[in-house]
Amino acid sequence: MGLEQLLPAIADMTWQDLIMIGVGILLIYLAIAKEYEPTLLLPMGFGAILVNIPWSSALTQIDPATGEAVQGILNIFFDAGIVTEVFPLLIFIAIGAMIDFGPLFRNPSLLLFGAAAQFGIFITMIFATSLGYDLREAASIGIIGAADGPTSIVVASRFAPNLLGPISVAAYSYMALVPIIQPLVIRLLTSRKERLIRMSTTGHNNKVISKKALIVFPIVVTIVAGIIAPSSLSLIGFLMFGNLVRECGVLNKLSLSAQNELASLVTLLLGITIASTMTAERFIRLDTLIIIGLGLFAFIFDTFGGVIFAKFLNLFRKEGNKINPMIGACGISAFPMSARVIHQMGQKEDPYNYLLMPAISANVGGQIGSVVAGGIILTLIPLFA
Amino acid sequence: MNKLSSYAILFLALFSFTNCSNRISNPPLVINEVLVINEENFVDDYGRRSGWIEIFNNTAKTQDIGGYYLTNDKSDPKKYPIPKGDVLTKIAPHHHVLFWANNKPYQGTFHISFELDPDRENYIALFNESGEKMIDEVTIPNGQLADQSWGYKMDGEKYAQDGTLLLTLLDKVTPSTNNFTLDKNEKVEKFRQNDKFGASMTITSMLVVFGALILLYLVFRTSGKVSSKLKQKKGERLSISKEGVTTSSGPISGEVLTAIFMALHEDQNEIHDFENTTLTFSSVNKNYSPWNSKIYGLRELPRR
Repeated sequence: MGLEQLLPAIADMTWQDLIMIGVGILLIYLAIAKEYEPTLLLPMGFGAILVNIPWSSALTQIDPATGEAVQGILNIFFDAGIVTEVFPLLIFIAIGAMIDFGPLFRNPSLLLFGAAAQFGIFITMIFATSLGYDLREAASIGIIGAADGPTSIVVASRFAPNLLGPISVAAYSYMALVPIIQPLVIRLLTSRKERLIRMSTTGHNNKVISKKALIVFPIVVTIVAGIIAPSSLSLIGFLMFGNLVRECGVLNKLSLSAQNELASLVTLLLGITIASTMTAERFIRLDTLIIIGLGLFAFIFDTFGGVIFAKFLNLFRKEGNKINPMIGACGISAFPMSARVIHQMGQKEDPYNYLLMPAISANVGGQIGSVVAGGIILTLIPLFA
Repeated sequence: MNKLSSYAILFLALFSFTNCSNRISNPPLVINEVLVINEENFVDDYGRRSGWIEIFNNTAKTQDIGGYYLTNDKSDPKKYPIPKGDVLTKIAPHHHVLFWANNKPYQGTFHISFELDPDRENYIALFNESGEKMIDEVTIPNGQLADQSWGYKMDGEKYAQDGTLLLTLLDKVTPSTNNFTLDKNEKVEKFRQNDKFGASMTITSMLVVFGALILLYLVFRTSGKVSSKLKQKKGERLSISKEGVTTSSGPISGEVLTAIFMALHEDQNEIHDFENTTLTFSSVNKNYSPWNSKIYGLRELPRR
């Protein structure tokens, strides 16, 4: 009996498999040692190891004796949870239950940064198309710039399921790298004088938001979004449903379950299921590197869009009422990391400059903006491609 | 006069309908594509190449061609009887089957008893079960080149609206698949032509995102204003009814702020006192407790 029969996994192991196992270990290391999005990167890293051992029963394999397919559990999860978009949409309920739209009610004008900071998505789409990607693939790559993992997964699973692995890895990695990427871009685009701008928050912070407004808001947003772009309703609707459960005040138990148990359970399965696409033959390609590069490009241009939009608005605002352009960078969806980073940057320049409240408002705007952008892509792309 | 004109209209309508029915319609089963000289094309299930004939079900129901006849000879319509009882002869709606013209009928249902001759015109016809009614026929002209097929650009569309036969040399050889396949998406091509750099798409998308968020901004702003006005009114009503008792929803009081800052100061300077939070068991001087009674641990039987 040869090695092939005794230990088929070793006999069939290729260098690509070994690299992918290394990638899996790296993701686990980053998740544990550096705490880079551990909830997603750790399951994805472990999943990458699981699917790159030859003949892994976690994946569907053809039995050489009978020629029949033996279903792997990760493929079953993938078909049931990702292809059907069930997992990411359940995550949206959880996220909706976690979001407090209060800061936006206090300072609604900052919502617009949530739109400006989606610029990277669309500019990356153009760039990816010029590199020869099909429009659907380009849209899926561009959405990495939303810094919103579930939205990226929904868009990629619908338009480019073949690229789901690298897109998810890129999306979650860049979300984790916000403290490194954003300060660099912001420093390049702003002067010290601009970074020192203090934002008046008097009156905003103490504004009491009525419960009715918080309840009506998710319902109105769902109806408006449904009328403008019905195909975005699965994304926005589930987010707003989660938020309604939170704000209604009579479903506290469900709201807590959505925030904790549901979020934990689905996240647990989401990461490891996405890893089923991280097999060596799909992942070790030039495409993957290009996608990761384009994701970075999208992320940088999102920050660029937000900061430049703030600077543009400042042209029309009076002295003393100007916006700190760093706030524009919070228009991405990485919540609350982006707001925290901007607040810390502000304090580094001036320890008495408290940017946290406007930064949080813009960051909540970014969460809405990324979902809206995802919905727009789901609506527009089928019209063109 | 009126009666006469209505009769005339009826006659005209009938005439026009009759005219419609005179239009040549496409057969229910069409000899859809034919390849005469197969040098580097599709290989049969025996690994050999030969000419082939593709038949297309032009109807919306499954057609069983078992018992029908294929021929290349006008005087012998029953030259190759398609075997009955083979499930594969049932053609699903708008699907195809392929027959190998290799003169080896013993190799299976889809290997017919004649070959296509590269040196002359090839007549091919499909007859019904009685061999009397011809369902479709086609004549492939002489002088064929290798690996080029003849057929109809759109599957099953044998005649144009004016009755012209649409048989032509096809751009692509497509055995057992649609003759018309999309190589490029017209919408995408148009979009690429009109918007080479994708600028209009970016602007459109950004405008839609901005538009949606501006709408949301308005919702936030108006709902905030309405709710604060409602609160104000409610507050006024409360203050009137309770005569002097007012509710405060203004800024946080100085005491609360002091308490918050004291807590933060204690936390940052680690001067908060340590509290023992260990939980433990200790015995108590009590002989009986329902927790240690065995009676409560037993199942009570029903009284007789």
